Amino acid sequence: MKRAVPILLLTVAGLIPLWRFEARPETVAVPEAAGAPEASAPPTAGSTTGSAAPGGNAQTVSGSLVRTGHGDVQVQVTFDGDRITAVKMLKQPGSAPTRQAVPVLVRETLTAQSADVDTVSGATTTSEAYVESLQAAIDAKD
Amino acid sequence: MRRVEHVMGLPISVDLRNGDTAAVDRAFEWLRAADARFSPFRADSEVSRLDRAELAPTELSPDLAHVLDLCEHYRLATGGAFQVRLPGRRLDPCGIVKGWAVQRAAGLLAEGGSSRFVVNAGGDVVAAGGPWRVGVRHPLRADRFCVVLDVTEGAVATSARYERGDHIVDGRTGAPVTELLSLTVYAPSLTTADATATAAFAMGLDGIAWAASQDGCEVYAVDATERVYRTPGLPIAA
Repeated sequence: MKRAVPILLLTVAGLIPLWRFEARPETVAVPEAAGAPEASAPPTAGSTTGSAAPGGNAQTVSGSLVRTGHGDVQVQVTFDGDRITAVKMLKQPGSAPTRQAVPVLVRETLTAQSADVDTVSGATTTSEAYVESLQAAIDAKD
Repeated sequence: MRRVEHVMGLPISVDLRNGDTAAVDRAFEWLRAADARFSPFRADSEVSRLDRAELAPTELSPDLAHVLDLCEHYRLATGGAFQVRLPGRRLDPCGIVKGWAVQRAAGLLAEGGSSRFVVNAGGDVVAAGGPWRVGVRHPLRADRFCVVLDVTEGAVATSARYERGDHIVDGRTGAPVTELLSLTVYAPSLTTADATATAAFAMGLDGIAWAASQDGCEVYAVDATERVYRTPGLPIAA
């Protein structure tokens, strides 16, 4: 599937998924980029070392190593507050240069919709639970 | 035609809009055969016999060898988070078998001349000849969707905690995964979608980015704090 190249990352308003940031022993100050895109702060899972210090101090953090079918991927991101000001590839697969090595994720709010659908995807339903499921209602239509 | 049968302990629905309806019989026949051969809950299945070391690796059927290869691929790709041989438990390749077997059942419908159908196996979907509107169940509300996908061709699989509780174990720690509420993968085949969703869920939060990096996979995930992360290419219905 065609995806954007890494250089486009910074132009995409979205979240670069880096969970469980580990602060590097030495943080590198990077000048604030003018017009840096809006980016969400990373989820603070487990450790909160990814949160940047107040006062506009730049903080450079490394994401966890992600294994893909094309090799290992690891990125380093510099934040100024909640804004991403720089992204550097620490590891990326050598092959397939047109393939985006770092997945881009959009962060959204969870909504509860009711809609007409043809079928329902969800956690594996047991035959017992099926009776009360939306899918059962859909199957009962002609 | 629509038909629902319970195979592999799952309700499996077929909605066939054209083609040979006899193919639906063949598809269910295949699913029952796959259950008999690969269920860890049947003492006489090939999987159970392998688990008891009654079968040598050289005696495996090509199908089971293929399934075990897939299991090994996802074990390595997830750094051991996804495992079909957890310590103290029986060999359980269900996480891979289900998607693979249902994808093959869908193939039998296509071979029967159908270009327009949807198969739903306990929440895992294979669709052809859409547009089909595939609702993804809201992880906290059984009567609502968190997103609706517009699928022409392809598969949608969801791993989540709400049906069977904390049953998905991170093979790296042996502990149940609690960082995610649900994780949905849209991929060209259910073999890939189901395996990727299952394996990614076992990785916890890291699994979201991992799944998004898998070839051909689009992802929609809800974490334990009810935040949503999705790939930009996810085919969200208008």
